[in-house]
Amino acid sequence: MSSWLANTISEAEQVNDWLSPKRAESLALLKNTPWPNRKTEAWRYTPINVIERARFSAANDTTVQAAAIENLDSIDLVFVDGIFDAQASTDNFPEGLCITQLSEGKNCDWALDSFKKTKPNKHFFGLINDTLATSGCIIDVAAAAKIEKPIRIVQSFSAGSQSHTRILVRVGPSAKLCVVEQLQGDELCFNTSFAEYDIGEAATLEHYRLAMQCQAAISIGGSHFSLAQSAQLTSNLIGFGSQLSRVDMDIIHAGEKAISKLNVIYLLDGRELFDLHSSFEHTVAHGTSDQNIRCIVADHANAVFNGRIHIHRDAQKILASMNNRNLLMSDDAQVNTKPELEIYADDVRCAHGVTIAEIDEEAMFYLQSRGISRSDAQVMLSFGFINELVDQMPNIAIADWLRPQLRNRFANMEIR
Amino acid sequence: MLKINDLHASVADNEIIKGLSLDIKAGEVHAIMGPNGAGKSTLSYALTGREGYDVASGSATLDGAELLDMEVEDRATAGLFLAFQYPVEIPGVSNMEFLKVSVDSQRKARNLESYSSSEFLKVAKAACKQVNLPLSFLKRGVNEGFSGGEKKRNEIMQMILLQPKLSILDESDSGLDIDALKIVADGINSQRDGQRSFLVITHYQRLLDYIKPDFVHVLADGKIVKSGGPELALELEAEGYAWLESYDRNAEQEANA
Repeated sequence: MSSWLANTISEAEQVNDWLSPKRAESLALLKNTPWPNRKTEAWRYTPINVIERARFSAANDTTVQAAAIENLDSIDLVFVDGIFDAQASTDNFPEGLCITQLSEGKNCDWALDSFKKTKPNKHFFGLINDTLATSGCIIDVAAAAKIEKPIRIVQSFSAGSQSHTRILVRVGPSAKLCVVEQLQGDELCFNTSFAEYDIGEAATLEHYRLAMQCQAAISIGGSHFSLAQSAQLTSNLIGFGSQLSRVDMDIIHAGEKAISKLNVIYLLDGRELFDLHSSFEHTVAHGTSDQNIRCIVADHANAVFNGRIHIHRDAQKILASMNNRNLLMSDDAQVNTKPELEIYADDVRCAHGVTIAEIDEEAMFYLQSRGISRSDAQVMLSFGFINELVDQMPNIAIADWLRPQLRNRFANMEIR
Repeated sequence: MLKINDLHASVADNEIIKGLSLDIKAGEVHAIMGPNGAGKSTLSYALTGREGYDVASGSATLDGAELLDMEVEDRATAGLFLAFQYPVEIPGVSNMEFLKVSVDSQRKARNLESYSSSEFLKVAKAACKQVNLPLSFLKRGVNEGFSGGEKKRNEIMQMILLQPKLSILDESDSGLDIDALKIVADGINSQRDGQRSFLVITHYQRLLDYIKPDFVHVLADGKIVKSGGPELALELEAEGYAWLESYDRNAEQEANA
């Protein structure tokens, strides 16, 4: 066992709170799980030894601030190095919305019940988060409540910090909610942040995970969703990549006629790495899922995408699609992409495609025929390739806030 | 203005344009008509420089400058414009951005300053209204989700904004209902100023009811086989292209005689 894991386990054994019965289950699993290495399939392209090398502490620097999202009128929950900052957070909530801190431990049976219910046990750092995450929040939306303001969960991280946060969300039947998970910080730090969403019957969740920690940061986490009958999920993930960034997304269709959509943008530069494992689990019939993953990878950066679609034996009449398009901007840039289709039902439609995209010559000719130089046209088309997914974001303020940042990041990639 | 001399062009080693000559003077409107496969679209792509359309010999000059030696974008900044038959959809690139970059590129080539964003917005809005497209189309992706008619009108809007010397309109009338056809024709007519020239490629005489050509040419098998005034279009409409075969036979007989 690695010394890092041994230390983590002994640290976890000290944690004692209302979630302890659940934590004990994960701790037992963790003790029997080897430290992932290159031979571990889920970590094949993503080396994690950097976690062992660096030294982290729980100490935090409260001056770290995450960027505001202009023109977004949101309910803010701010965490700095995993510690809740009440002052920077919103303290009054609309009717039908109840938010408590995980550390308060006063929320109800459902929270205890839903802890690690949606997130599968296969995620190694998810188990670590199970045992160590003592901060985070619990969000409960009453049946039929339409919460118009997005909830923005902002997490920023300072140099040398280590933190583990957990978010539990329940969207009641026919309710409507928008959640933005915003993670920021460029310094060398280590954090795990997992969120579990229980989306009730005919409820709608609009979700954003803005994984915008870059450079030296080590960020591992996941967003996991369970959809009841006729529930709808639209999820958008932005991956900027860092020394080590890994996100697992599990979308479980637990009820019939649920609809899920995942759009993902990677924009990687330098030696950044971003690794997404998505998994769509169709356990019942009549469901629709769609995922679009677009990567632009420059310099020596490395994009990893593992897209799994699992259609269970009796889950007939499923429409599932997965599309992964990649644009490599340098000879040293890498994309490791792997579709994983497990289809046990016979009456389903499942489409998947992976391309390492070249510029579309027809579009190129069209732009040039208007007098635009080939190099300018190339920038427009490359940016358009990811901007297409930004255009699809339902929240215009978030899209407008992201666009110049993506453009800026992309422009810097061009210079090299 | 545009002088094409003995142009030969091929696609995938098949010669499609087989010695075509045409002289369009400033302010003139020429129409090219012809059956499917005559080489109408090949002519427009060979002139604009699309990849895969290879010119074996001949010349095409615009105000004396040889187009065939230029890059695609340089032909455009020299004053050549093609209204596409099937404009491509480019999601993610906004129509507004595309239009501004296009116009700025051409202004730069003419040593004019770029428009400021607010100046350009005014100009673009006016052009948008002129072709009867809702202003929201400026914000959408280039041609993204536009109907066939909306795409054609977007082409005409670009022509209005770019102010080219010579515009090639490749079947700008195809797939249009009568109202859309009038809007497209009005857009083109509004640009006729006695200086700028137009090459209108069409199957049908219908468009020429609205855009009065100075000359009509019949293109068949890669060559112009007959030229005349507007009355030639009416003749074609009445008799179809079948008479071309008898025309060919007559020509052969004359040659053999």
